[in-house]
Amino acid sequence: MNDAGRVADLLAGIFRDGPAEVAFERACQACVEALPVSGAAISVMTDTAAWQTLGASDATAAGLEELQFTLGAGPCREAHAVGGPILVADLTDPSAGAGWPMFAARAEELGVRAVFAFPLHLGAIRPGVLGLYRDRSGPLPNDAVRDALLTADMLCLALLGRLAGQDTGNGGSALASMWADHAALGRAEVHQATGMVMARLSVSSEEALARMRGFAFSHGLLLAEVAAGVLARRIVLDHDGATGAG
Amino acid sequence: MSREHLLAAAFVELADTLVDDYDVVDLLDRLAVHSVRLLDVTAAGLLLDDQRGRGLRVLAASSEQTRLLELFQLQTDEGPCLDCVRTGQPVSVPDLGEAAARWPQFAPKAVQQGFHAVHALPLRLRSQTIGALNLFHDQPASLAEDDLRLGQALADAATIGILHERTVRRNETVVEQLQTALNSRVILEQAKGFLADRGGIGVDEAFDWLRGYARSNNLRLSDAARRVIEDGDFARAVLQSGR
Repeated sequence: MNDAGRVADLLAGIFRDGPAEVAFERACQACVEALPVSGAAISVMTDTAAWQTLGASDATAAGLEELQFTLGAGPCREAHAVGGPILVADLTDPSAGAGWPMFAARAEELGVRAVFAFPLHLGAIRPGVLGLYRDRSGPLPNDAVRDALLTADMLCLALLGRLAGQDTGNGGSALASMWADHAALGRAEVHQATGMVMARLSVSSEEALARMRGFAFSHGLLLAEVAAGVLARRIVLDHDGATGAG
Repeated sequence: MSREHLLAAAFVELADTLVDDYDVVDLLDRLAVHSVRLLDVTAAGLLLDDQRGRGLRVLAASSEQTRLLELFQLQTDEGPCLDCVRTGQPVSVPDLGEAAARWPQFAPKAVQQGFHAVHALPLRLRSQTIGALNLFHDQPASLAEDDLRLGQALADAATIGILHERTVRRNETVVEQLQTALNSRVILEQAKGFLADRGGIGVDEAFDWLRGYARSNNLRLSDAARRVIEDGDFARAVLQSGR
């Protein structure tokens, strides 16, 4: 198993085995152990469009998230808005952090020299952000970027499960199913089907994908299979349940 | 139209697009269409390395026909694009009928879809290969030397369009921009599905209507896609304009 698989499995293990309340905090600790960073925090946007820290590896990371909530600006906020990672290898570089000088100054005071923010997202689905902090400057090496991207993907899936009230601790199948779902996310069909379910049920993109995953799980299907069924209009997800899927 | 005219038209359009505030997916869409005309092939697609070690993803294609997209997508595990990205070298297969041993999943599928030749040109950034320009032909055919050079120039133009600058100094910028481009594509797919359901149409048609609406209303394709999902009235307007 390569390192990237190790990180992803580590995370999946946390969500599979642990109590939901501390799972995200433990995920942050796992990030610090597995990636060349000194702090990690996960924040999510609530129903009322306010931000909330779901977990943090330490007080500094938690503080940096809170700071961004207060300022309404910062690398994590930007990553979420832009729909892509924001990687700042050196906060002391005057051209870095140009959009958030107050954040950069405060972060430096706290001993942070580099920030790497990864949105947890799938197109229009963007429940949160993973903020990684480091006490020394320097870019994130390619393999760490890869690991962080995979980690962000897995966290996004975990968040969707949580939002849908899906039990994240339901045994070994959860690990395999998250990894299989991840593979499905590279397919256009899954995203098209998400859009179709959104339109049909007039629900958010998060809920649409969560329902598809829930359907897949309860019918022993792969997410890709459910997506194909939705697109072919063989599977119709309704508010009361679903028809089709034979 | 003579080849010279086609070249001039392509160059002008791409230059215009690059100068203005442009949309990556739309730019690559146009580039794929130009590639088909200029290189006299049947279909073209642009694939990117997902940077997660999990393969290649489609960013744009000369046609949004599902079957064609699937053929591009199939190459995430094996095929000319993957070989091209791994080696950084062009990969040319003038006769797919002889490639079954090399790519047992991809080659037969491509032939089944009516494609008999394939070429992949690297999207290069200094020592890195970030993706590939994939060309399909419905007959067995080699690519002439001139066409290979032109194809590589188009691939280089695609790289510039994706990365916004001729020389990107920081690797961070590469990661940021590639991931943002990939995410834009996901929003586009979600919007296609959304319109397909609301309009009772196929996803291919939904894309045509969306692109048509965006162009006639001077909107970036990515912005239009996002608005479809966020605004029911906007979605309705797109569907109305398509009918």
